[in-house]
Amino acid sequence: MNIIEIENVTKTFGEHVAVNDLSLAVPQGSIYGFIGPNGSGKTTTLRIIMRIYHPDGGRGVIRVLGETTHGAANDRIGYLPEERGLYKKMKIRDILRFYAELKGCRDFKGRVNSWLERMGLSEWADKKVEALSKGMAQKVQFISAVIAGPELVILDEPFTGLDPVNADVLREAVLDLRKNGSTVIFSTHDMAVAERMCDLIFMIYKGNKVLDGTLESIQERYGTDTLRVKVEGNGFDPRTIPGVEKVTDFGKLQELRISQQTDTQDVLAELMRCGRVTHFELTTPSLHDIFVRIARPEPKDADASRETAHA
Amino acid sequence: MRKMIVIAVREYQAAVRTKAFIVSLVLMPVMMGGSIVVQVLMRDKVDIKDKRVAVLDYTNQLYDSVATAANERNNKEIFEGGGELRKQVKPRFVLEKAEASSADAAETRLALSERVRKDEIMAFVIVGPDVLKPSADPALAAIDYHSNSPTYDDIQNWIAQPLHARIQQLRLQAANLDAGIVEAATRRIPVANLGLVSRDEAGNITKAEQTNKIANVFVPLGLMMLMFMVVMIGASPLVQSVLEEKTLRIAEVLLGSIPPFQLMMGKLLGMVGVSLTIATVYLAGTFYALWQADYGQFFPAHVVWWFAFFQALAVLMYGALFIAIGAAVSDQKEAQNLMTPVMILVVAPMFVWVNVVREPSASLSLALSLFPPATPMLMVMRQAIPPGIPIWQPLLGAALVILTTLLCVFAAGRIFRVGILMQGKGAKVSEMFRWVLRG
Repeated sequence: MNIIEIENVTKTFGEHVAVNDLSLAVPQGSIYGFIGPNGSGKTTTLRIIMRIYHPDGGRGVIRVLGETTHGAANDRIGYLPEERGLYKKMKIRDILRFYAELKGCRDFKGRVNSWLERMGLSEWADKKVEALSKGMAQKVQFISAVIAGPELVILDEPFTGLDPVNADVLREAVLDLRKNGSTVIFSTHDMAVAERMCDLIFMIYKGNKVLDGTLESIQERYGTDTLRVKVEGNGFDPRTIPGVEKVTDFGKLQELRISQQTDTQDVLAELMRCGRVTHFELTTPSLHDIFVRIARPEPKDADASRETAHA
Repeated sequence: MRKMIVIAVREYQAAVRTKAFIVSLVLMPVMMGGSIVVQVLMRDKVDIKDKRVAVLDYTNQLYDSVATAANERNNKEIFEGGGELRKQVKPRFVLEKAEASSADAAETRLALSERVRKDEIMAFVIVGPDVLKPSADPALAAIDYHSNSPTYDDIQNWIAQPLHARIQQLRLQAANLDAGIVEAATRRIPVANLGLVSRDEAGNITKAEQTNKIANVFVPLGLMMLMFMVVMIGASPLVQSVLEEKTLRIAEVLLGSIPPFQLMMGKLLGMVGVSLTIATVYLAGTFYALWQADYGQFFPAHVVWWFAFFQALAVLMYGALFIAIGAAVSDQKEAQNLMTPVMILVVAPMFVWVNVVREPSASLSLALSLFPPATPMLMVMRQAIPPGIPIWQPLLGAALVILTTLLCVFAAGRIFRVGILMQGKGAKVSEMFRWVLRG
C-alpha cells in the first residue's frame, strides 16, 4: 500500500517552474530518499506533500495517508523543515511538550524523557533553546517532529550540519522509526547515506523526476560500466586507453567509466602495459557517480581527450 | 479547540514569563508615581541660602509692613516638622530698604542692577510713587521686580501678597472706609458643583452628592489610560511573535499541526489573557490603594465589567491587525512602517478625550464613542463619568465593535494564511487587500 501518491503535480513560482508534472509513490513502511542538486525542487516537493504549498490550479492528485484533504494540519505526519527554528526563549522540555500537545498526544512525559536520553540531551532539558549549539538544536527539532509518534515522518535534510557521532545517533533513530512502523521520507545531499539507508531513491533535477526506484534498479539502468583500478607506475594516464570515457581520480584508486562496446580484458591489458596492476574491479556506478552524471554535464575536455584516444 | 488552547497557553506563558513583562508591569506605575516620589525627595534638597532682596519704596509707606511680613515668614513658614525634627526647607527672604541713589530713576535701577550682577543681592523691587492712588499714571503706579534669574519666581510670587494687602489697607484708609465692612461686602461665594437629588426607597428626598473632580475626570481618564496601556502591552507584541514564527520557520511546523485560523485565534486568545492579567493587577492595585486611603467610593466598580469586556474586544480587534502585519512583513523595519497607521487608531482617543470628559452626553461624544476603533476607550470613559449614559449606547457600541472585530479577524486570517509562509520581501498593502478579497 502506498502511503503517499502524487500524480502529475506542477508548481511554479512566477516564471520559475519548481516542480514539473511530478508523480511519485511512497510505499508504507519504507525509507524514501530525496536527492537532487540545490534548488532542484526537493523542498518544494516535500512542502507539497505537507500541503504547505498547493499545486498550480489545484491540478494533479495528492493523496497522503489515503486522504486528499486540503489543509496542512495532520496529526499523523511529523515534519522537520529545512530551515530550522525553535522558540529561542523556551526550555527544551517545554518545547517538546508543546509540540506533543499540538499533535494531540497526551502521554508525552515518558516519550520526552526517553527521546532526550536517546539523543544525549537529558542534562539540557531545562535549558533554553538559545543556549544550545546548532547541532543540539537540530536534534531537539528532530525530536519535536517525531515526539507524537507519527505514521509518516518528513525530514528535510535531517543530517546536514551534524558531526559523525550525532549523524549516527540520528540515523539509528530514523531506522528505528521504520522498525516501529513509520514511513520516513528525507532529503539529503549525502549520497552514502542515501545508498545505505533508503529502500527507494528519488532524484529530482530542475523540477523533473530523473530517478525513482531501488538503488539496485537505478544502478542496473546504468549497467556495469565502471572499473576501479590501482596501478603502480609513473606517467600513467588512463585517459589514453581506448574505450575509457571518463576518469575520476580518488587518489589511491581511480574510477574509469568505459563505453559499452569496450572489452574490459582489453583495458586490463592496456593497464598492465602501463605498470603493475594491484587492484582491478568491475562494478556498478555509485549513486554519487550517477548523481554527478545527471547533475553535471560532461566537461568538454573529457570528450576531447576521448576523441584523441580514439584517434 | 484543544490545540487552540495549547497555542493560547504557550503564547500567554511566553509573554507573561519574561522578565521584560514583569519589569514593565512594575515599572509602569513606578514611572507614573515615581515623579511624585522624586519631587518629594528633591524638595528637601532645595537651596536654602538666604535670598537678599532690595526694596526701593518710592511711597515710603509700604516697606515696613512688607519687612514685617518677611520676618514673620522667615520665623515660621520656612520650617517643616517640630521639635528636634524641625528643619529649614525654604530659603529666608532677607529684605533691605534701598534708597534712590540718584534723582534719575533709570540711573537708580542701573545701580541696583549692578548690585545684582555683583551678587550682593538676588533681586530688587521698585514700588512706584503712585501705587496708592487708584487713578494714577500707570508707569508711576507699577511695582517692578528685577532679577537675573527669571525662572525663579518664589520671591516675586510671595512679595505680591504683603504689598497688595498693605496697599489695599492704605487705600481704604484714604477713602475713609472700614476694612472689615469692605471685606465682608466683597467676599466671594463659591458655586458648589452638585449632582441631582432623587427619592430613595423610604420616600425621602436624598441630598445631592457633592461631585468630585476625582470621580468626574481622573477616574474616567485613568480607565482610558489603563485601556490604552493594556492594548499596547497586550496586542502589539503579536507583531514580534508572528514575525519570529515566520522568520524562524516555526510557522511551517505549527501549520503541520493546526489550521492557520485556529493558530491565529490561539495567539489572540493568549494575548487577551495577558491583557486581562495586566488589567486585573492594576485595577486590584488601584482598588486597594483607594480603599486604604478611604476613597473606596471612587473606585468605578459599576463599569469594571464593561471595561473587561471592551478591553478583551479591543485586544482582539487590534491584535488581529497586528497579527496580519506580522504575517505580511519580512523584517522589523517593514513592521514599523505598517504599524504606524494602526498605532494612530489606537492613540486617536487620546486626542479627543478632553471634549468627551467635558460633555459626555453631547452628540459629538456619542458619535466619537461609536467609532469602533475608539469605542472601547471612549465608551468606558463616558460610562465612568457620573451619572453614566443610557444602556443602549454601550450595547450599540459593543455590537459595532464585535462586528469590526469579526471583520478584522476574518481579514487577518486570510492575510495570515498566505503571509506566514511567504519568505523574502514583505507584502505590499495592495497585495494584502487582494489576499483578503480573494481568500
